Amino acid sequence: MPAIIRRTPAGVISTIVALLIWQFIGSFGPLAGDSFATATEAITALAGLLTDSVFWAAVGQTLHMAILGFIISIAVAVPLGLLIGLSRFSYRSSKFTFDFFKVIPPIVIIPIAILAIGPNITMGVVLVIFANVFAVAIQTAYGVRDTDPVLLETMRCYRFNVIQQVLHARLPSAAPQISVAIRLAASAALIVAVVAGLVGGAPGLGNLLMRYQSGGQVDKTYAVLLALGIFGILVSRLIVRAQRRIIFWTGR
Amino acid sequence: MTTPAISIRDVTMDYPTPDGVNHVLDGVSYDVAEGHFVSIVGPSGVGKTTLLRLLTGLATPTGGEIQVRGQRLTSSPEGLAVVLQDYTRSLMPWLTVEKNIALPLRNAKLSRTATRERVEESLAEVGLTGTGRSYPWQLSGGMQQRVSIARAIAVRPSILVMDEPFASVDAQTRFDLEDLVLKVRDDFGITTLMVTHDIDEAVYLSDEIVVLYGKPAVVRDIVKIDIPFPRSQMTTRNDHRFADLRTHVYGMVRGLE
Ligand SMILES: Nc1ncnc2c1ncn2[C@@H]1O[C@H](COP(=O)(O)OP(=O)(O)OP(=O)(O)O)[C@@H](O)[C@H]1O
Ligand SMILES: [Mg+2]
Repeated sequence: MPAIIRRTPAGVISTIVALLIWQFIGSFGPLAGDSFATATEAITALAGLLTDSVFWAAVGQTLHMAILGFIISIAVAVPLGLLIGLSRFSYRSSKFTFDFFKVIPPIVIIPIAILAIGPNITMGVVLVIFANVFAVAIQTAYGVRDTDPVLLETMRCYRFNVIQQVLHARLPSAAPQISVAIRLAASAALIVAVVAGLVGGAPGLGNLLMRYQSGGQVDKTYAVLLALGIFGILVSRLIVRAQRRIIFWTGR
Repeated sequence: MTTPAISIRDVTMDYPTPDGVNHVLDGVSYDVAEGHFVSIVGPSGVGKTTLLRLLTGLATPTGGEIQVRGQRLTSSPEGLAVVLQDYTRSLMPWLTVEKNIALPLRNAKLSRTATRERVEESLAEVGLTGTGRSYPWQLSGGMQQRVSIARAIAVRPSILVMDEPFASVDAQTRFDLEDLVLKVRDDFGITTLMVTHDIDEAVYLSDEIVVLYGKPAVVRDIVKIDIPFPRSQMTTRNDHRFADLRTHVYGMVRGLE
């Protein structure tokens, strides 16, 4: 292998290859034409959007729904999961209900949400919360239940009370599971916030995407998709990095 | 007669199993005198760990009762410290060695400096000075076991319960730790109960050895170790009395006598 390729990160190479294939299909393949933007067209359009206040307003609204919904879901789900996980009875009895809500795709409750709240930012926030709160709570509860019994017995011998056991054993034990749930929740928050605009009429990038598409602005439609992909990667990178710092004792 | 530190009275323990019950202990009675060092020996699976779990209040006997200083045991008694058989799982991987040792001291309400001194002192006693900032998983198995011993002696317990505490350390460290345990017992008058598979160790350390045997297990013998203290690894182990006692206990554990 030539040295220049060996020294380039694998991600860069595969990205370049993917862009080349995209460009090729868009120029010569059966999809070539007005309804399909090539990589260069999309990137040019994205560059244009970066100076467009409409685009940034949409970014702001989507992030607003995603971040607020995400924060509320975590703030509710983690303490809730802790409580549920504390006793075998509450864990068993809640698991079924939570699993039931967990598998309902948030998109199917959009009709109900529009009726109840209307097509606005609040609806987007509620959808994000609905999408995440059950999964994070049940995962937290699972992590808490999964605490090593030997550790808990040691604490009981040293006469630690229940609150101390939660703070010093159950919560740190569950941290790896909670953090996986949080990582998934962050990605889901972004996706659901976009879907809320795409299908539910909430403002933001999803809505912008719809408008560009129905207005026949093909290059801008693709540019928004590109932007969403980049956002998604940034979010998950950020969270993985934070997790490695906080939960340093696993995966050794 | 003074109240014994621990009184085991006609204790029975059954575990439920899918096909009936598993009778583990059947009418075990024994009094542990204040400040005594008692070893519990017996074949593997006889119920030694089970008995310790009852003594630490982690489990409740199916029949009979356990009293600590005249009080019926309902939860872990005050002044208890433990070194469990599963030592790797009894330390917290997210805390450094010194924080692991300091954790139980919270309930003792020591000042910050007193806590730090206590931790340093305990680490020094088990020969681990300088490892306080490491995490347990960065240490060898034997070192982790010494951390859990350091944690136990740091709380200045009145009752120390240990389940095969020296099973995973090398011979030299083992001798050192045995002498350490004798020393802290001496310094602080700790009532100590230890489960071990090593009969020489039991004879070397104990005032009395309780031999469990059978299924369900009963107290087969209580062997008084009338070798005077202080004992030393060099002379005590060569004593002919030591040899006699060891042979006797060995026969009991094997069911030969
Ligand atoms: N939590 C439990 N539930 C059901 N049965 C148990 C439990 N703990 C122990 N037993 C059973 O009790 C018996 C005695 O086990 P115990 O662990 O007390 O033996 P031991 O003397 O400590 O053995 P070893 O020397 O191998 O550590 C075994 O038959 C075991 O299967
Ligand atoms: Mg055992």
